[in-house]
Amino acid sequence: MPVGILHHLVLAGVLFAIGLTGVLVRRNLIAVYMSLELMLTACTLGLVAFSKQNNAMDGNLFVFFIITVAAAEVAVGLALIVALFRKRGTVRSDELTSLKN
Amino acid sequence: MTPETAFQTLLGAPLAAAAISALFFRRSRWGAPVLSLAAAGTILWVSLQLLLGWDGHEALHTSYTWFKLGDLEFKLGFLLDKTAAPMLFTVSFVAFFIHVFSIGYMDDDSARGRFFAGLSIFMFSIVGIVLADNLFMTFVFWELVGFSSYMLIAHYFDKDYAAAASKKAFITNRVGDLGFLLGILWCWSHYGTVDFQVLENAKLAGSGVPAAIGLLLMCGFIGKSAQFPLHVWLTDAMAGPTPVSALIHAATMVAAGVYLMVKLSVCGLFAPVALDVMLWSGAGLAALGGLCALGQTDIKKSLAYSTLSHLGFMGAAVGLGRPEIALLHMSMHAFFKATLFLCSGSVIHACHHEQDMTRMGGLLKKMPVTAAAFAISGLSICAFPYFAGWYSKDMILTAALVNGNYGAFALLAIAALGTALYIGRMFRLVFLGNANSDEAGHAHESNAWMTIPLVVLGIVFSLGAGWFLSGTHAAEGARMNGLFPASATEFLAHGYHELHHTAAEKGLVLPMLALGVIILVVGLGATLSFYKKTPGDDALRVKSPKLYAALERRWFDNAYDWYIANVQQRVAEFYAFFVDKFLLEGLTIRAIFAGIPAVGGILVRRFLFTGRMSDYAAFFVFGVILYFLYSVVL
Amino acid sequence: MNSLLLPLAIFVPLIAGTILLAGRCVPTALAKGLAAFAFLFPAVSGILLWYGFDASATADGFNYVTTLPVGIKDLGIALTLGLNGLSAPLFAMAGIVGVAAGIQALSTEVEQPNRYLGLLLFMLSGLLGLFASMDAAFFYFFHEFAFLPTFILMLRWGGHGRYATAVFMAVFLTLGAMISLAGIIYLYNTTGATSFNILKLKEAAATLDATSQSSIFGFLLFGLGTLVSLFPFHSWAPEGYAVAPTPVSMLHAGVLKKFGLFGLIQIGAFILPEGLKAWAPWMLWLGLGNIVLLGLVTMVQRDLKLLVSWSSVAHMGACFLGIAAFASGKVTGLGGVAVMMFAHGLSVALLFVLTQAVFKRTGTFVMADMGGLATKAPVLAALFVAATMASVGLPGFANFWGELTIFASLAHLVKSQPWVLVAALTGIIISAIYGLRAAAAVFFGPESETVKAAPARDIAFGERLAAGVLLVALVAVGFVPSLVTKPVDAALEKFKTAAPAAIVEPAVTAANAE
Repeated sequence: MPVGILHHLVLAGVLFAIGLTGVLVRRNLIAVYMSLELMLTACTLGLVAFSKQNNAMDGNLFVFFIITVAAAEVAVGLALIVALFRKRGTVRSDELTSLKN
Repeated sequence: MTPETAFQTLLGAPLAAAAISALFFRRSRWGAPVLSLAAAGTILWVSLQLLLGWDGHEALHTSYTWFKLGDLEFKLGFLLDKTAAPMLFTVSFVAFFIHVFSIGYMDDDSARGRFFAGLSIFMFSIVGIVLADNLFMTFVFWELVGFSSYMLIAHYFDKDYAAAASKKAFITNRVGDLGFLLGILWCWSHYGTVDFQVLENAKLAGSGVPAAIGLLLMCGFIGKSAQFPLHVWLTDAMAGPTPVSALIHAATMVAAGVYLMVKLSVCGLFAPVALDVMLWSGAGLAALGGLCALGQTDIKKSLAYSTLSHLGFMGAAVGLGRPEIALLHMSMHAFFKATLFLCSGSVIHACHHEQDMTRMGGLLKKMPVTAAAFAISGLSICAFPYFAGWYSKDMILTAALVNGNYGAFALLAIAALGTALYIGRMFRLVFLGNANSDEAGHAHESNAWMTIPLVVLGIVFSLGAGWFLSGTHAAEGARMNGLFPASATEFLAHGYHELHHTAAEKGLVLPMLALGVIILVVGLGATLSFYKKTPGDDALRVKSPKLYAALERRWFDNAYDWYIANVQQRVAEFYAFFVDKFLLEGLTIRAIFAGIPAVGGILVRRFLFTGRMSDYAAFFVFGVILYFLYSVVL
Repeated sequence: MNSLLLPLAIFVPLIAGTILLAGRCVPTALAKGLAAFAFLFPAVSGILLWYGFDASATADGFNYVTTLPVGIKDLGIALTLGLNGLSAPLFAMAGIVGVAAGIQALSTEVEQPNRYLGLLLFMLSGLLGLFASMDAAFFYFFHEFAFLPTFILMLRWGGHGRYATAVFMAVFLTLGAMISLAGIIYLYNTTGATSFNILKLKEAAATLDATSQSSIFGFLLFGLGTLVSLFPFHSWAPEGYAVAPTPVSMLHAGVLKKFGLFGLIQIGAFILPEGLKAWAPWMLWLGLGNIVLLGLVTMVQRDLKLLVSWSSVAHMGACFLGIAAFASGKVTGLGGVAVMMFAHGLSVALLFVLTQAVFKRTGTFVMADMGGLATKAPVLAALFVAATMASVGLPGFANFWGELTIFASLAHLVKSQPWVLVAALTGIIISAIYGLRAAAAVFFGPESETVKAAPARDIAFGERLAAGVLLVALVAVGFVPSLVTKPVDAALEKFKTAAPAAIVEPAVTAANAE
């Protein structure tokens, strides 16, 4: 059974779903953040798959951008989480409810 | 002078005088009086020109469209016809002399500008009513008459009673106006016109006029001429300066109501039912007013009840189907009632604004001109034969008898007796006996500004205004007939002679003359001797306090005061504070305003604004799913 | 030239307002001069435009039509300005009330006068715009444009209890405006019109059946009715006026409120006559609620400014009756409403000026504490009595013609529903009762303690000027009603074709009364 577009997409979908579930159910911000990254990865996987399918390079090109931006984003995001921990003493999202009301 | 110019001058002169006085002569001592007198003089002169140059048959009529909105065309029209002519003469003549008198009477007043501007507005309004050719225009000036009286009654505005009386006069008149306006609107929608000439030519009488139209139009008369049950304002209106009372009672305000009834009666707008109502309320008021005049010691209030009584006579005459006699009585009444009021003004002025008759007395020698004028106009109002009042008043009694309304006749005879009683009493208390106060003791005759009107109106016209009825008709081509312009006498003389003829056929002329003399002698004799006994007080009040109190008591005023305080005010307060403020605004609207955020807020806070990031993410996902479902399914 | 004057009249206050709001450091004298010019300019140009108005010049009856490049082209929204016979006198009225309010504002000391004047000018610009707008969407827009400054002015410079009252009023007015906007959009959608221009809407709506007309009209009636304080949606109005600073009350009660009536005539009656016919009985009864019930409420007020505010609400009832009378196929009532709007705008503004003048002298609005002020301030008393008489509907003032024509337009009711007419006419008694009571309580009688303690000053020059402008306009139209009725009547000719099938004519004329 050759590995085709379908397999790639299913994998990407499963990864995305796992990530989404993580975002929704995890309370630790680090874990939530990791789940978010997982969702981003799933998207890039989809892009690569379509790029291969269409024999075009623009999908792959896009993936490079995403990886670069994601790297920067991780740095910023983790810095924010650290700053938040310093200020509030916790990274549990159900304790960070100052958005309430 | 063409009729158009004459009409324009008649309205323009007083309006200009009022406007200029109000704007520029507020503080000047002579500006406003002179201007106002000039306006009144112009009115008198122009109306005499107009009447003397008119043949008395073909009505003079001009009309302008003032404005038009859809199917309503408002016309400003002037109509000088058989009914307007005597009215115009009487009004302009009497009013001019009241203006002259006012200059003498108001010499010590500080607000002459306001007073004379008010007089001019009054003249403007009444001339407008006299010359109006349609009911809408009558209504415009009708309202202005109400305003002028408000302004003049409130002349001494720093007194509470004057403030209250002015308000009462205006509001009571508005109550009458409600019915009047309703009647006008009905007439307009029913006949498609409110034009007097068109209505008259249509010969509506006998064609089943809706009785309600007549009754509603009568409401205007009831309000303005102080008929039962809206008569309450007239006695309070005495709060104004005396010349104003003279003007209101003789020439302008109450006369307007009678004049309107005569006009509408000639147009045939009254169904028999309406006429009956008018007859009985008029006759009843005549008797009641005549007796109540005995229960007042204030000279002006006593005269006010006398006016009520005589307005009742006029109403009864219209009700008897004799509009000519009603207008005749209105005209004669204008002369003698104006004189009586001016005499009272002269007396009040001489006694330093003392109005209580029991504190006067012995003024006959001190004020001979005033006393003479009072005596003659008094005899005239009591219908002394061949005095002005006799022609009209005697004829109203005769008309009741001729028509076979014995009940009304009895009431009117009581009223006539009442007249003799209160005039005798008044003369006895004021002019005979000894002075009962220092003020009366030091009184002296008024100056020429005041005595000349007394001589002209009192001695000449109260005596001889009716003499044009003694002959049959004016000589052909004569411009004057007796003391009246010939053209102004056509309508009155026609009605008078017709009735006189009927009475003569039935042999009623001599018995009526005898009855009149008996009433006069009994009434005057009784009061002159009765009131001699208790100097300084009212004889009736001493002898029979209960009867006096019953006459003095203001039954209807009290009833209305009770209604206003206990019904109208309470209903309004209940509605305002309970229904509107509490139920509507408080319980309904404020509750909704407060309720939406309160209930909604709990739901929102509990389930939406949790503040947990994961919940927000879940909502987002939920939204995305919804969107997909929407795009897939639809 | 003239077609330039109309947009200029709207934009001069707008520009001046922007300068005053932006330039906080503009020196006060210069700011006042600029504001005075900007207040005066619309009044003068409004009167010029009114004077130069010629209904026969164009087929649709609109003069001075200008389209400015503002709007949303795709939806057919364009800022088209123009005056017809109805709006020309009302535009001038807005200008006159504006200049009086301007005089009043310039002669009072306030904090931050630049912002105050700037916001007032914004408000004025919106008011002028709504009468001049031929585009239904911009018509709505101008109302909101005038309302926002009203709200801010109340919040910042209002009297006691301004926060709660301003918010209460804002919720009401926003709801009302939104419902009427919904009605306008509903109309636009249902007819499939391509433009919000009212003439185009009228063309498009010609084929609309009675059912959809009446459902659209329902939106307009209750939306616009709330803005005109139609019973029972009136609760916002009296307190709102009483709390607002006097120039704002003048402009709000005098002009802004007329938006609703103007909309009901210009959009409601003109485009949706059948819808109006369906709702006419409602308008009749609710209008009677204003006249009788709210008249009773006015009668028991103890605070002078509240009394004036309530009376302004009560007087609106007659206007609804006049509009409802259009259902009988006669345009007289609509004309009466136009005259009434003109007159009421001036007279209520006049009463607010004088009420403020009374307050300045006595330091109170409570009528029980006043009395006998006429001795100290005879001119103020005379003006107040004149203003009262105007609002009571005395001939000689413009209000009388409004009331009389409205009543005349209802004359046919005397047979079918006489009690409705009687109830409507009680308005003339009720208004006389509260008007004269107020005049007597404040000015007549012996001097009260408060008045004795008050400084003996008659009305000041600024107040006299503001009151004079309004009174002259009232009297001028009172004596020469054709100033207003001539253009209005010409505009009403266009309505005649739109009129619903006439009910029973007074077929009996005097000639064939048999």
